[in-house]
Amino acid sequence: MFTEGSSSSNSNEFRTRIKSLAVLIFIFFFILTFALFNLQIIRGREYLKKVKTEVGRKRTILTQRGEIYDRNYDVPLVINIETYTIAIIPGAVPEIEIEDIFNRLEDFLKLKRGYIKDKIPKSYYHLYQPVEIKTDVSFETISYLAEHIDEFPGVTWTTSLKRTYLETASFSHILGYIGDIDMKELQILANEGYEAGMQLGKTGIEKQYDRILRGKDGKILRIVDVREKQITEQIEDEIPPELGEHVVLTIDKKIQKLCQDTLGTHKGAVIVLKPHTGEVLAMVSYPYFDQNLFYTKNYYNNLRVNPDRPLINRTIHEYMPASVFKIIMTAAILEENAIHPSNTVYCSGRIYYGDRYFHCWLRSGHGAMNLFNGFTNSCNIYFMTVGRDYLGVDKIVKYAREFNLGKLTGIDIPGELEGFIPTPEWKEDRENMIWLPGDTMNLSIGQGYIQATPLQMANVIAMVVNNGTIYKPFLLKETRDPHTGDIISRTSPEVLQKTTVIKPSTFEYIQRAMRNVVENGTARYAVYTKSVKIAGKTGTSQIGPHAEDRTNEWFAAYAPYNAADPEQQVVVVVIVEYVPKGEWWAAIMSNYIFHGIFTQKSYKEVAMEFGSLHRDLGE
Amino acid sequence: MRRGSFFNIDIYILISTIILLFIGVLFIFSSNTSVVNVLNTSEYIKQIVWILIGIPILIFFSLYNYQYFKNIAHFIYIAAIILLIVTRIFGEEVNGAISWLRFGSFIGIQISEFSKIAVILFFSAYLSIIGQKIRQLPYFLLGFLICLVPMMLVIIQPDLGTAAVYIPIFLAMAWASGAKKKHIVFIVLAGFFMISIFIIPHLQQYFPSLRTPLLQIFTESGYTLAFTGIISLIVVISAVGYYFLKTHYFYWIYYSGFMFITASLGALVMQHIIKLREKQIKRLIIFLDPQIDPKGDGWNIIESVMAIGSGGFTGKGFRMGILSQSQYIPQQSTDFIYSIISEEWGFVGGLFILILFLVILTRAIKIIYNSRDSYAHYIGVGIIGMIFFHVVINIGMTMGIMPITGIPLFFISYGGSSLITGLIAIGILINIHYRRYY
Repeated sequence: MFTEGSSSSNSNEFRTRIKSLAVLIFIFFFILTFALFNLQIIRGREYLKKVKTEVGRKRTILTQRGEIYDRNYDVPLVINIETYTIAIIPGAVPEIEIEDIFNRLEDFLKLKRGYIKDKIPKSYYHLYQPVEIKTDVSFETISYLAEHIDEFPGVTWTTSLKRTYLETASFSHILGYIGDIDMKELQILANEGYEAGMQLGKTGIEKQYDRILRGKDGKILRIVDVREKQITEQIEDEIPPELGEHVVLTIDKKIQKLCQDTLGTHKGAVIVLKPHTGEVLAMVSYPYFDQNLFYTKNYYNNLRVNPDRPLINRTIHEYMPASVFKIIMTAAILEENAIHPSNTVYCSGRIYYGDRYFHCWLRSGHGAMNLFNGFTNSCNIYFMTVGRDYLGVDKIVKYAREFNLGKLTGIDIPGELEGFIPTPEWKEDRENMIWLPGDTMNLSIGQGYIQATPLQMANVIAMVVNNGTIYKPFLLKETRDPHTGDIISRTSPEVLQKTTVIKPSTFEYIQRAMRNVVENGTARYAVYTKSVKIAGKTGTSQIGPHAEDRTNEWFAAYAPYNAADPEQQVVVVVIVEYVPKGEWWAAIMSNYIFHGIFTQKSYKEVAMEFGSLHRDLGE
Repeated sequence: MRRGSFFNIDIYILISTIILLFIGVLFIFSSNTSVVNVLNTSEYIKQIVWILIGIPILIFFSLYNYQYFKNIAHFIYIAAIILLIVTRIFGEEVNGAISWLRFGSFIGIQISEFSKIAVILFFSAYLSIIGQKIRQLPYFLLGFLICLVPMMLVIIQPDLGTAAVYIPIFLAMAWASGAKKKHIVFIVLAGFFMISIFIIPHLQQYFPSLRTPLLQIFTESGYTLAFTGIISLIVVISAVGYYFLKTHYFYWIYYSGFMFITASLGALVMQHIIKLREKQIKRLIIFLDPQIDPKGDGWNIIESVMAIGSGGFTGKGFRMGILSQSQYIPQQSTDFIYSIISEEWGFVGGLFILILFLVILTRAIKIIYNSRDSYAHYIGVGIIGMIFFHVVINIGMTMGIMPITGIPLFFISYGGSSLITGLIAIGILINIHYRRYY
């Protein structure tokens, strides 16, 4: 249909050249089509994958740390509460108003002038990445902000979870606290999924069961635009977070508080456990701290330099066991037939040995003492003499080990010390001194080099109660599913030590003796509750030459004496530091604690019944 | 004189154009929104307004006898030149080039777009008046000058991409007018060498592997001087030789030597007189390897290629493009709109756009092929060269096979000046078709 007969003289030439132009056009369009085909069909998948990595930003969905409960699993001891963080999205702030808005926000949040400007340099002004301005903002502030958001364009807030301890005081040592992971921890834990910027338990249960509590952060793939402004969250690529499991402790909140209030503001420790299983019902150490204040400036540093050392858990720290050690001595004497129990040693209040006097706590002397009376009255002279002349250091050490002293109990809380049993070899090797019979005498009354933790002493009582078995003390009763509350795992009692050396009859003897301590012995005035039959052993250890008139007071006891049902039995060990000499504070407190436990009363109720503890303590 | 009825207009060109306009508005709308379907700007509304302004202009140019332009083409041309100068002096800088004349706050126009039409109309008039004399060198050079003047005025804005369009317009029209092949080849090769000489030192900056001893003649001024001297000597000798001996042998040596000198001088002018900014040069060569500046100039290419590639066969769906909806592609409503179309409509959509342009170009070729009027021939070829160049460069750029020149895709890219220029071109083509039986 091309029209022939052009008027133009160069028409044919023109048409040839036009045709070549058409060919050129087709060639180029073919090239473009091929390039398009190459990109989209041949390499399409490759580019699609690239795009997804390019625009997808993996964001972490923070998990919730598990809650911690006491054994009754009703009200949590630790929860996570929402706190608010105010941030600015610089890109969303109108550029002309930016300084006005910064100033207004500074005034509103009571920040220094220029604070925000320092945080957000000019080069950030076009970015859509939120810059945090203030953390831990109250809900009231946020609601005001939400109502007046027109005045604060570009201002936003995020919620985050803050670990909040509903129970602090004596719970602080048990629960511990969490904090930012430090370099040292990171190096150790890096291959266990810990990353920089994470928080983890630093002490207590929070540290011990961090892996159970922390859960696992989820990941979500979101698509961001070129300025990092979040545009959409792609649900298909979501890995939901695994919530941390709930931890249920063996601790009984009521007993814990009873012990805490009874100990009051006296430095010391109380441990309550069930000898039949090893469950720790209460673990009190004073002074304690408030984990909720760890976020405040200098709180932690002040705790660290405090000479009373509130950060240490005294229930698992070392003391001289003092006369409580006589329980072990008694077992040794009976098993080794070192001296017939009815044979007596005369106590004149002191004995001279080596080049010095060894005193009994009763300066006037106990008179002739056999084993039972010596135990009841806690006669030092009897045990020193028997220990030195009939038993010898090696056998004392053997029985101390039999009662599991000098070894970790393995309780599931960090920071436990293992205590110490001195031996002649140790003294020669380490101190380069010969073990003297005087050392044996000191050891016989639990003084000198020997060290034991209140928990270990509770185990000693447990062994007596159980006729030779110590269950490993533990705090984790069970873990529970955070969604359903179903039990995931439960700790079953584990035997820590079972003696084959000491006969049950020996334990029965000790039990009787311990009961007699309460009925007729050193604790007869201090322990008067009628609610339960208590058996126990007092102890008094010298603090040192700097505090001659002060002692550390022990009372290690259990109840009920001769229980039909071992489930009912409870071991209570109390140690009070720096007690005026001759006062049985630990036993007095134990009286309150046992009464409270067996009548299910709080300290206040017990105090109403018995009168003020302070009066009993003579304060 | 037979006048066609209304239905005698070229329906293929018209429909293709309308579809392209429609797709353009759709994808400007798509580029204006983000994944959450929030409108960021309302460019698509402005584009619709420009189309509404453009329709009467299209109708005017398709009805107003193009023959009348022949007599006023020189006025149009001079007006365009003056406006380009005015732009250079009073214009507004956008993306580093002073290319906008702004009237009030809404209307800003790019004279450099409209001046293409002015050049086509005037150069066509020139060609149809001189006829066969185009085969003589002075007429050829004068024709070249007609294109060169506005081109230089655009280069100094500096807007290399838009300026470059004058070259294919000139070449296509000169080619169609029957100019001597050796003249055209001279221009093409001289231009090619000029750009090469100009760009090689810059290339070496980004591609160290190109630092070979041979190429030192372009970078070390001493070598360049010596080399130019030798070439000049050869040119003189061969000119003398040709003058006396009339041997073709000498002629071609003279031809290529002179071409080289022209190219060198041109490069020198580009380097020292026009003073192109480093940024502009970098944009020109970055398509060779976008990774040399992946966060800067390479970004556009990397993102655009990824967007197109990830579109696959059928695309991700309208307004579903991951990269385009996340605003990864700069200038996605203007220069890089083809990326969005290809990401969201895939190969099918991308090919459809190519086919529509191919329809317009082949119909345009057919229109001038059938036209008996030489003025119409030249106008038509100029328009074909212009549209062809725009399409190839723009689409090639989005696919990473052409330099980033910042020239828009006719009818689709957001922007009034290029839209109306395109509609004028289509109007003229329809007009030529309409009056083909003169």
